[in-house]
Amino acid sequence: MFSKHVTRDISAYCHGELSAEASRRFAEHIISCAKCRREFEEIKLGIKLAEQLPQLPAPEGLWRGIEASLGGPAPIESNRRSWQLRAAAVAAVLLVVASLGVWRFWGRGSNGSKKGSWQVQSLEGAPRIGNKRINEAGRLGIGEWLETDGSSRAQIEVGSIGTVDIDENTRVRLLETDPTEHRLELARGKMSAMIWAPPRLFFVDTPSAVAADLGCAYTLEVDDDGVGKLRVTSGWVALELKDRESIVPAGAMCETRPEVGPGTPYFEDASPAFRSALRQIDFAHDPAATKDSLTAMLNEARPRDTLTLWHLLARVNETERPRVYEAIAKYVPPPAGVTREGVLHLDRAMLERWKNELQFSWGSSDKLFKKKLLPFQKKLLP
Amino acid sequence: MEQRAVMAQQLIDGNVIEACQQGDREAFQLLFESYKDKVFSIAVYSVGGDRAVADDVTQQIFLKLFTAIRQFRGDSEFTTWLYRMVVNACLDERRRRKRWLPWGETVAMKNPVDRKPQEKQFARLEIAEAVQEAIGELKPKFRLPILLKYIEGLSYEEIANVMGCSKGTVASRLNRGHSQLAKRLAHLNNPAIWGE
Repeated sequence: MFSKHVTRDISAYCHGELSAEASRRFAEHIISCAKCRREFEEIKLGIKLAEQLPQLPAPEGLWRGIEASLGGPAPIESNRRSWQLRAAAVAAVLLVVASLGVWRFWGRGSNGSKKGSWQVQSLEGAPRIGNKRINEAGRLGIGEWLETDGSSRAQIEVGSIGTVDIDENTRVRLLETDPTEHRLELARGKMSAMIWAPPRLFFVDTPSAVAADLGCAYTLEVDDDGVGKLRVTSGWVALELKDRESIVPAGAMCETRPEVGPGTPYFEDASPAFRSALRQIDFAHDPAATKDSLTAMLNEARPRDTLTLWHLLARVNETERPRVYEAIAKYVPPPAGVTREGVLHLDRAMLERWKNELQFSWGSSDKLFKKKLLPFQKKLLP
Repeated sequence: MEQRAVMAQQLIDGNVIEACQQGDREAFQLLFESYKDKVFSIAVYSVGGDRAVADDVTQQIFLKLFTAIRQFRGDSEFTTWLYRMVVNACLDERRRRKRWLPWGETVAMKNPVDRKPQEKQFARLEIAEAVQEAIGELKPKFRLPILLKYIEGLSYEEIANVMGCSKGTVASRLNRGHSQLAKRLAHLNNPAIWGE
C-alpha cells in the first residue's frame, strides 16, 4: 500500500515519459499518498505555467546582419543543387499556405489537431463527431462535439487514464487534453466515467457545475434546462461552481442548478423526507421555509447523513447553524482541537479536521475507499 | 509563423546540410529560417530578457554554425548538435555577463506585445510575462531543460543528449524547475486569473 514515494517521477508522468507499468504504479501510489499528491499539485502548476512560455519571433533584420558578417549577399548560382533548394523553399511556402488554408477551414478541432484527440468507439448505432457519423471508431479532436441520438451510444478513451461511456441522446465536447488537464463539456444527456488517475486531472464542465475527478467512477446527467445530477459509484468527485463546492463520495448523489451551482450531497439511501427537505433548502430560495425543512431533515438524519449536514454548516445562516452542529456532534463529536465556536465561525481548518473524522461513516460500502483511502486516512489520524 | 518554421524544418534533410557544409548560402538561409525563432527565444530567456543581447547571441550562434557545420559528421541528430551549440553559447554569454552584472541582477523582461486591458487576454499576457521573469531567475541547469522542453518540444532523451546527461537527470531537473516556478508564482494558482 505505502509503496516508495513517486515525487521524482511527477514531471515524467505528466509528460508521458514513463512506461505504461510505471505510469500505473505512479497513479496507484499517488491516489493514496498525501505527500506525493501535494507535490503533484505543485508540479502540475509549474507545468501549466511553463506551457505559457511563448516562442518569440526573431527580429526581421537578423539575416541581413549574418549575411553582412559572412561577406555580402550570396552569389547567384545556377547549379543544380541551388535550384533544388529554391524548389524546396518554394514547396515549403506552398505547403505552408495550403496547410494553413486547410487548418483554417477545418478549425483547430480537426482530427489532426496539434493539441491531441481522443479515440471514440461506437457501442451502438452511429454516433456523430461533428457532422460525420462513425460506425465503428473515430477520433474526437479538441473543440469537436460528439453526439448520440436515441439509438446510439459511444465510449471515449480518455488518454491513458480511463474511459467515458456516452449514453443515448447525449452531447459532449472535448475542451482540453494535455498532461495536466483533461476536460470535457457535457451539454446534455448522460455519461459514465471510470477514471484511474491522480485527483484533479479529469474535469467535466456542465451548465451548472464543474465535476472534478478525485479518482473514481461516476455518472453525470444534464437535462435540457441545464439541471444536473451526479451519482458516484466509487471514490470521490468534487462539484464546483465559483466558491461553492460539494464533495461527493461513493454511494452519494448531488444535484446542480444553473445560477445556483452544486446543491448539497446526500446518500441515495437517505429517506424521501430527508431528500425532499434538502431540495427545499438548496433550491427553493424560501428562507421562511428553511427552518421547517431543516427540522424535518434533522429528525430524519442518520450517522452517514452527516455528509449532508457537514456541507450544510456553511450553507445555512448563523441562526440555524448551531442546530446543524448539535445534530452532527450527536453522532460524531468533533475531535480534539476542533471547537464549537470555531465550527460556528466556519474555521476552515477545523471544518476539514471534523470532516476527516466524519468520513469514516460516509464511505464504508465503497471497495475503493476501503482498499485505498480508508487505511491512508486511519494512518493520518491520531 | 510557427507552422511555417515547422514545415521548413521538415525540409532540412541530409541534402540541405551537405549543401551548407559546401558553403551554399541559400541552403544556409533555409536552415536559418527554420531555426531562427527557436534559437532567438532560448537566447532571450537565457540572457534575462534583453533582446538586443539575444539578437547578438543568435547572430553569433548562426555565424559559428556556418563554419562549424563542416565538422558535423551525422553521429547524432542535427538538432541535438545544433541545440548543444545553442546551450553552450547561452551559458558562455551568461558567464560573460555575470562579470559585469552584480549577482542576481537581470534585465527586466520586455513585453513583446502592446497590452490592452481586456480581461482574459490581459490575464494571459500577465501570466506569460510573470513566467518569463521567473524563468530568468532559475539557475541555468533548471532553466535550460525547461526551454528545451517547452520552446523546442524535445523529449527527455533528446534533452539528455543535448545537455550531455542522463534521462533521469533531465527528469529530476525538470521536476525541480517546475517546482521552483510554482513556488515563485504561487499567487497565480487561482482559476479566476486564468479565466477558468
